[in-house]
Amino acid sequence: MKKSVLSIDGERGLSFLFIAPAVVILLALSIYPLFYAIKVSFQTNTGQNVAWSLQNFTRLATDKFFLEALAHTVIYALVALTFEFLLGLGLAVLMNQAIRARSFFRALLLVPMMLPPVVVGVVWRLMLNSNFGAVNGTLKWIGINTTALTWTASPKLAFASVIAVDIWQWTPFMFLVLLAGLQAIPQEPYEAALIDGSSSWQTFRNVTLPLLKPAILIALLLRTMDLLRVFDQIFILTEGGPGFSTETISLYIYRTAFRFSNFGYAAAMSFVLLILTNIISLFYIRMLQRQEAA
Amino acid sequence: MNIRSGPRILKYTFVLIAIVAALAPVYWMITISLKSEVDQFAVPPRWFNFTPTLVHYKDAFLSRSFGQYLLTSAIVAVMSTVFALVLGTLAAYALARFRLPHKLDTRLALWILSTRMFPPIVTAVPLFLMLRDVHLLNTKASLIIVYTAFNLPFVVWMMRGFFIEVPREMEEAARVDGDSRVGALWRVVLPLVVPGLAATAVFCLIMSWNEFLFALVLTQTDAAMTLPVGIAGRVTQYEIKWGVMSAAGVVAMMPILIFAMAVQRYLVRGLSLGAVKG
Repeated sequence: MKKSVLSIDGERGLSFLFIAPAVVILLALSIYPLFYAIKVSFQTNTGQNVAWSLQNFTRLATDKFFLEALAHTVIYALVALTFEFLLGLGLAVLMNQAIRARSFFRALLLVPMMLPPVVVGVVWRLMLNSNFGAVNGTLKWIGINTTALTWTASPKLAFASVIAVDIWQWTPFMFLVLLAGLQAIPQEPYEAALIDGSSSWQTFRNVTLPLLKPAILIALLLRTMDLLRVFDQIFILTEGGPGFSTETISLYIYRTAFRFSNFGYAAAMSFVLLILTNIISLFYIRMLQRQEAA
Repeated sequence: MNIRSGPRILKYTFVLIAIVAALAPVYWMITISLKSEVDQFAVPPRWFNFTPTLVHYKDAFLSRSFGQYLLTSAIVAVMSTVFALVLGTLAAYALARFRLPHKLDTRLALWILSTRMFPPIVTAVPLFLMLRDVHLLNTKASLIIVYTAFNLPFVVWMMRGFFIEVPREMEEAARVDGDSRVGALWRVVLPLVVPGLAATAVFCLIMSWNEFLFALVLTQTDAAMTLPVGIAGRVTQYEIKWGVMSAAGVVAMMPILIFAMAVQRYLVRGLSLGAVKG
């Protein structure tokens, strides 16, 4: 055996003592459940007996509700991510200028993101209620006909409404991370661009964006992971309805497991979500690594 | 960056619009919680002109069970934070300071972080079945256990970052003076990371307090459910008491907003899992 990497004997023991409890807990409550879920996903309940089969996985491909929930989740994530990024970047650039009381304004802008997601659901149920909600009430007051604007109660508008609520809640996150990224950029490249006579748009494209790229990638990665698992606000706002119009994967898995007690099928679906999340996060991490290597 | 062409008025107008957009909906919920039903359903909406009343707060927290949910939320959040902090800080220190063979220290740290990336619904289904088998459904203990595991990777990752920032020399000096490894950790290193430790604790409290999916799945009785589950239960009923719901919502968000202000300095770092140091 090679010489011990540790400087002092006994430190290895100490390090194991420090690390072991955390590792044991994570093995028991994060890793073991995954294997448990794999087991359950290969089981189907036939009356009293448990049968082993691939049925839960073959069902995935033909279940149009599952495919629809998957499509909703992907569209939801793409649309919300785009808006949150663009609005967050705009706000960050705005707030990165000479602004009085910046940290106070920043704190106010962050409120939506800190709220418990359930409270966000409550807030927007109050705002979007078609009879006495503040949105329609205010629109009516300035003379706009709101009969067609039933927001979360309308199959057509409900999906757009839940996306809008997500944008409201999470644009501040993009703003916060991107502002931090902007503030970490040193002055020199800007001075150089100024001497070169670049326009502000050119400076933004050629100096700011490339230097901001690591912060952008991290913000997008974290947001994407959260968007793909969205559950709380939609559960409060629409419970996936009206009909199936706002059902996302997490909601459909929840319903399958805890309303219909079909744990096997729920577990099978959750693996699709897990694999999807993993592929996308790997893609981002590759980009980040390439960024660091460059 | 400096866009010189942007006139000042325009700049502040945009900032103002953003702030109104962010705060008006929250303000609206606060007014609903303070309005009598006549004012709640008034057309046009009464943003400012209403007579405040505390009747919904009394109703929610004295006549209904929201006081109990609040207490459960607080117990679960505090206990899970304490456990995650103790276990996570020890692991973080070891992963920051000890060089393990085969780069095991870095690999373990990354593995611990990766367990946090699972979508919660993926573990919610098997955890429900596991906790049902050991008869822990509808107990505070189940939530404390689950939230400890949920916060643990976060604590490890954050505290590892804070420990790495402490210069090794300070620790070595203490060791030369005769402190043991544990003694140096306790007397020299830990006091230096107290601000980071406090910020990490506040983040854990916020995450446990806000958590909804696991609480919904694991607790369905009045004695065990947390505030978010209690609120959700009222929202999905047929006859919604808007005032009661809003009052509960206001109480659920207040501690979080105060906590968030307290960790402003570490907000970016905490929310990006240490990836961006704001």
